[in-house]
Amino acid sequence: MIYDIRHVTTYEYESPVSFARCTLRLEPRSGGGQELISHHVEIRPRPVERHVRRDFFGTLTESVVIEAAHRHLRIDSRSRVSISREPPARDAASPPWESIRDIAFEATSLGPSSPVGYVFASPLVPVLRPVSAYAAMSFPPGAGILTGAVDLMHRIRTEFRYDPKATVISTPLDEVFDKRHGVCQDFAHVMIAGLRGLGLPAAYVSGYLRTIPPAGQPRLQGADATHAWVSLWCGAELGWVDFDPTNDLLVANDHIVLAVARDFSDVSPVDGIIVGSPKQKLGVAVDVLLVE
Amino acid sequence: MGEGAAEDNDQADRAQAQQRIAQWVRDYSRLPGIPDEFLGPDGAPRAVWRRFFDAFGALAPDEVERRFGMADRHLREAGVTYRAPGDSADRPWSISHLPLLIDEADWKQLSAGITQRAELLELVLRDIYGAGKLVAEGALPAAAIAGSPEYLRPVCGVEPPGGRYLSLYAADVGRGPDGRWWVLSDRTQAPSGAGYALENRLVLSRAFSDLYKSMNVPRVAPFFEAFRDSLRARADRDEPRIGVLSPGSFSETYFEHATLARYLGFLLVEGDDLAVSEDRVHIRTVAGLKRLDVLLRRVDSNSLDPLELDASSRLGVPGLIDVLRKDGVVVANMPGSGVLEARALLGFLPALSRRLLGEELKMPHIATWWCGQKSARDEVLSRLDQVAIEGAYARGVPGFDQNGPVLASELDTAGRQRLADAISARGMDYVGQEVVRLSTMPVWDQGQITPRPFVLRVFAAATPDGWAIMPGGFCRIADKADARAVSMGDGARAADVWVVSGKQVSTASLLPATDKVRIRRVAGVLPSRAADNLFWLGRYLERAEATLRLVRALGSPSGPNKGTAASLQSSERIQRLLVSWGAISQASRAAPGRIVAEALQSPERFGSALSLVRAAQRTATSLRERLSPDAWQVIIEMAERLSYEVEDDDGVLSAAELTLQELSSFAGLAQENMNRAAGWRFLDIGRRTERAINTARFARQFAYDEAGDEDLDILLTLVDSQITYRSRYLLAPILAPVRDLAVLDPYNPRSVAFQVMTLNEHIAALPSLKEHGLIEKPQRLAVAVQAMLATAEAEKLEVKTLFSLEQDLLSLAEAIGLHYFPHGPNASRPEKLTGLA
Repeated sequence: MIYDIRHVTTYEYESPVSFARCTLRLEPRSGGGQELISHHVEIRPRPVERHVRRDFFGTLTESVVIEAAHRHLRIDSRSRVSISREPPARDAASPPWESIRDIAFEATSLGPSSPVGYVFASPLVPVLRPVSAYAAMSFPPGAGILTGAVDLMHRIRTEFRYDPKATVISTPLDEVFDKRHGVCQDFAHVMIAGLRGLGLPAAYVSGYLRTIPPAGQPRLQGADATHAWVSLWCGAELGWVDFDPTNDLLVANDHIVLAVARDFSDVSPVDGIIVGSPKQKLGVAVDVLLVE
Repeated sequence: MGEGAAEDNDQADRAQAQQRIAQWVRDYSRLPGIPDEFLGPDGAPRAVWRRFFDAFGALAPDEVERRFGMADRHLREAGVTYRAPGDSADRPWSISHLPLLIDEADWKQLSAGITQRAELLELVLRDIYGAGKLVAEGALPAAAIAGSPEYLRPVCGVEPPGGRYLSLYAADVGRGPDGRWWVLSDRTQAPSGAGYALENRLVLSRAFSDLYKSMNVPRVAPFFEAFRDSLRARADRDEPRIGVLSPGSFSETYFEHATLARYLGFLLVEGDDLAVSEDRVHIRTVAGLKRLDVLLRRVDSNSLDPLELDASSRLGVPGLIDVLRKDGVVVANMPGSGVLEARALLGFLPALSRRLLGEELKMPHIATWWCGQKSARDEVLSRLDQVAIEGAYARGVPGFDQNGPVLASELDTAGRQRLADAISARGMDYVGQEVVRLSTMPVWDQGQITPRPFVLRVFAAATPDGWAIMPGGFCRIADKADARAVSMGDGARAADVWVVSGKQVSTASLLPATDKVRIRRVAGVLPSRAADNLFWLGRYLERAEATLRLVRALGSPSGPNKGTAASLQSSERIQRLLVSWGAISQASRAAPGRIVAEALQSPERFGSALSLVRAAQRTATSLRERLSPDAWQVIIEMAERLSYEVEDDDGVLSAAELTLQELSSFAGLAQENMNRAAGWRFLDIGRRTERAINTARFARQFAYDEAGDEDLDILLTLVDSQITYRSRYLLAPILAPVRDLAVLDPYNPRSVAFQVMTLNEHIAALPSLKEHGLIEKPQRLAVAVQAMLATAEAEKLEVKTLFSLEQDLLSLAEAIGLHYFPHGPNASRPEKLTGLA
């Protein structure tokens, strides 16, 4: 499947901003059944400096400096990707979760795809006893890793309420967990925290969902903005498997991956600092159209 | 007195000294089973301590107390302070008056161990952030590193600018039961304590200068000199600019940051002072952006760059990590170095030493089992009561709300179960450590000495010729038996550390050899924030002075409180001024006594003299490295005096009077002792600006068109110009001459015209950022006001002119702030972009 993605981020400031330094992570990655065909970012006002590099996690990261005074910032990203994935079935057989935990821990690499980098707490995902205990209910001794993770994902989908007004980025995980509500980012963080609490390697994925669902299927939650889900390492054979706790499904061909890392703080698509206006209004518009 | 008698006296003294020493030894109750620094296993004093106490015992008891008092006074006057977590104010430094003595031979071994360890850690860091062989080949478990919050992924693969990771390394050590020194923990992030060690040394070597000399203690100055030189050498240009990056005056160890900056000749900077542009770090100064070459950081890695690390941090510099990638700034220690503070790594160091250095570790460290490995976990769980449980990576034990180690033996059954469960579930987050009984050292306690456990922090600086070890260190003495929990927070004391040598030591000080120094007359650059603080320090003190003058005018017996109708009016005028300044809540006819007391020392009124002096003190706190100890002391004394409640009207007046005298002594110190570089100018600009505004306002209030004798007299008193007036006019006050003297006369150092003239001189002397060749706003305004004052005629002056003069002066103050302190309290700080983008 080939998708055209348009991701427009706008900031409106109350007073003129004289300086901005931004970090953009807007280029969809290639790999895992996804190929980037083309990508282009247009920024207004025009930056005086733009340079790109790959960060530790392999995400293409663009650093941008704007020195022209402005009240509006517009970052218009267009990408085309092709996707062809075959996720395992929900009830497929898989190794016992304890063996995954032990193998992950023994990894002899610190590289971005080494599972050992994803078993520890990270800036936005603390390891908390209640969350670990919640996750443990899905992982009785000897349970298959896939079976356990599917069950945990399903429980989050049914026991948490999707509510875009309930949380902001800075809402801490324990509050999300206590109140059982939030958005895709919160659900992903909760699931990751639970899995890591058990010593399992879980990563955070940022990306997009197709806007218009295939005929006869419901529109997915989170399709008009950036989306987030969970990637779990399920052993050498299955590798990294993606779970979308917001929609209770194993990721197939409706998801486009932007970046994979420890949590949102590593992958935030547009990040930066400005000088000049404490008051700002953010707008994000995402369109994901099926080309063929 | 004959010679024989003198000898007898001497002998008597010696006998007394020996008696004292014998008494101390008898009363020194060693803790059973724990080695002691002072007494050997045979119960006799060790040689170095014997030497020390022979000389110390010769001092009469009152002489000892006198010198201890002298040391404490030095510390107080130097303003040595620290802050424990959660403190809202600084605590005075508490020093144990006896130094820790270490025999030279013993020290040599200790130094060799620390040197080797520093070298090893540098190599390990190089591999972890570089080639990654140790992990790939199984010498180091990946999890032992990946779990550390100090493992900084953004600097993986970045070659450290300046060529090394560690510039300053410290180890906490203690002497174990076997008599050897043990490493308790490594400090690789941003080791603190070196500055305090320096202060401890200054204080103790002064209080016991003869004793200090007789013990041949090597000085610490050459260590700091070597450290400074090596940082300078690491920059890529001669005469580099070096900053100490501090989190700010709320930091626990801010005093130390200021001390180091002053002692080493570096700039004390905060994140807000720095800006990244064109792949370099720059410091914002009153003369624009100036390149900064080296940062000695006291900010933890994760807070260094909100763009790539902790996004919520306000302490760092956006874009700093990217500058490191481009080799644009040296940061000491390299961000990410803190990963080696993880206890999980300790157990692997002996093997790493063999592998990387080809030698055994010279110094043991405290036995540590990382529970990430099954065998170690089982070991720890099987003897949970004999080990201390610590977090494997960072301070604190995950899941347990306490600072130090968790001891299973101190937990109840449920707590023990919780601990065992936590270790079983996520063992990688925990280590078990042997509980070592560390040796004790003597502390002075009311004429006796008693043993106390201690921890010694030893410092190593990387130099082109290898590692330099500070001879001495930072010693913290605990009141608890488990000395590993010693931090300065819980009633602990610090001690100086003397390495005792048999031979004479050289007397190098920090004065550099003359051939290396280029003569300079102006001290470096002035960061905008420091200029801003100096400006406000000047303004707060001047405003305090004005308030005190009003208090004095209101309260003095010859003042307007005589009960006549005119006096009542004058009193009301003064009170209205005090109300509008926020010095009192409301005017009152009934209780002038209460009004003056309120204006003098109400902590609730932001405009009271007390509040203003406190504001000055807060501002001065951020300027510690730029103020002389005398000047600082004056501010402290004023704040103390004003916060001490006074009883009656006389008390109020005399407190006001004394504080006014102290203010003028501060002004004198600044005038006579401050270098005439930009810093002094900003202090004076603040003071002149404030005085000009206040004088203009006083003139408007008391020299209004119909003002009578009494009000004019008050004005002359407020602007301290009574004597000048009387000697010039020999008359009762008359409106036009009084206005002339207070506002227009450029020869009267209290007039508005004099302040504006001085301001113009200052502004003209300051660096200009001229853009497009235009005159800058502060200068434009100041020149205009000066011209107006120079051409005005006293007889034709109107109150509305005085009013617009006051407005012009306020605009000038604002223009100075905006122009020279573009990121001052009212200016825009960098903001984070927010929202789920």
